[in-house]
This record gives sequence, C-alpha cells and structure tokens, in this order.
Amino acid sequence: MENSPMLQPMVALILWTMLIWLWMYVTRIPAMNKAKIDTANLVGGTGGNLDELLPPQVQWKAHNYNHLLTEPTLFYAICVVLIFSGQDFGLNVTIAWIYVGLRVLHSLIQVTVNRVLFRFAVFALSSLCIIALAIHAALAVFH
Amino acid sequence: MNTAILAPASVLVIWSLIMLFWMAGTRLPAAKKMGIDIGEKPGGRGPDFDAQVPDKVAWKSHNYTHLMEQPTLFYATVVILALADAGHGLNLYLAWAYAIIRIIHSIWQATVNMVNVRFLLFIASTICLLIMAINALWATLF
Repeated sequence: MENSPMLQPMVALILWTMLIWLWMYVTRIPAMNKAKIDTANLVGGTGGNLDELLPPQVQWKAHNYNHLLTEPTLFYAICVVLIFSGQDFGLNVTIAWIYVGLRVLHSLIQVTVNRVLFRFAVFALSSLCIIALAIHAALAVFH
Repeated sequence: MNTAILAPASVLVIWSLIMLFWMAGTRLPAAKKMGIDIGEKPGGRGPDFDAQVPDKVAWKSHNYTHLMEQPTLFYATVVILALADAGHGLNLYLAWAYAIIRIIHSIWQATVNMVNVRFLLFIASTICLLIMAINALWATLF
C-alpha cells in the first residue's frame, strides 16, 4: 500500500512535540536544581505546581508542551478522517503542512519571547487551518 | 492492514476509563465527607476541587489528566503505524511497553507518588513513544 501523504504532517507534529518535551526538561531540570527543590523526597504534585517555583521562561516550555497536547489532538483525528474518506491529497495536505508550520512557529514564540499578541495571531491562523480541514472532512463524510 | 498494534491502544483507552472511575470513586466520597455540595454552585472544575480534597484523592485526578495528554500522541502514532503497515515487530512491542508502563505510572501516581520514580516511569514510556514516532517518520517519509 502506498502511504498517504497526510501521514507526513502528522508525524512531523508528533516529533516536534517530542522535541518541545525535551526542551522542557533540558531547561526544567537545571532550574529545579537551582531552585533547590529536593526531588529525592518530593511526593505528589504536578508539573503545574512548578509555575510558582521556577522562572516563567522555564515554564513557558512546559506551557507549550501542554498546548501541543490540546488542539493538535483534533488535527490528528481530522487527518485520519480525511485519509479514510479519500480526501488526503492536494489542498488538504497543503493545509495540514501549513498547520504544522504555524504550530512550530507558535511554539517558538511561546518558549522564547512569548508576546501574547503574536502568539494569539499565530494560534488563530492555525485554528483556521483546523476549521478548513474539518469543513472538508464534513463535506466528505456527510455528502 | 495489520491491526495488532491497535490492541495496546485499546488497553490504554480502557485503563484511562478505569482511572476515571477510580478518580470519581474517591473524589465523590471525599466531597461528601468534607461537606462540599457539588450541586450548590455552577461552574466548578476538577482542579478547583483538588486543592480542597486530601492529596491522595487529588492524585487520581492528576493522573487522569496526565492520561489525556501525551497518550493522545501515542494514539495518533499507533494509527499512523497501522496505516503505514509498520505496526508489527519492534513497534508492536514498544506500543505494548508504552501502555504497560503508563499503567504502572498511573498506579504509582495514584498511590505512592514519589516524584523521582514517577519521573523515571514517564521518561521510560516517553522513550518508547519517541522511538515509535521516529519509526513512523521512516515509514511515511519515502
């Protein structure tokens, strides 16, 4: 079976998420040591508790990692729907790649300068891609 | 299409629902015991609650939320591997390892919850996912 071209943007975004996961730890673990958090005896709590203890720039990586596990879950589901409904070519593949590109840009903004206006603009644009793909998927499955 | 790799994904879905029941089964009695009337005011959410209930009750909820995060990537990766006919051999073993380690991670977080062990379990499961994702890239790139 020839692989669907839609699988590539999906894999790209998954690997990007894993990269942000790595970026999160590379900055978080030294910051936790610096903040003198006694990890050997730490019980309970969640990553979110670190918002009160670590510099915001460190937590921005975690915020983005969490962000990548929210709306992109819809992206993966829509891509699968487009594959199964035979709509996984041309414009839809292009839109999927644009979504991935915008999410990478969104990540880079959020983990570095984190100006909310820019972050919001890129997030809004990326969401338009989801809306377009979802409408195409709806046309395919309800037609 | 070989669907063997969908089995560990199904197991993790069912496990997540078990955690949902475990969370509800400890949270609701805790609310009752503390005299919290969940019908009293609208708009409350789980995290509002976690701050009030005992740690051990909140831990179940922390883990349920945790299961709604990275495993979403796992499900997407599993579907990609199945569609690309790469859901066998090493990828199949890694998928099972991911599901099983996540179950151990859940039990740990919901009970003992020493963070260093929890962290190691999380790292181990993430490494499984990372290898699966890289294999998915090779399977779909060419």
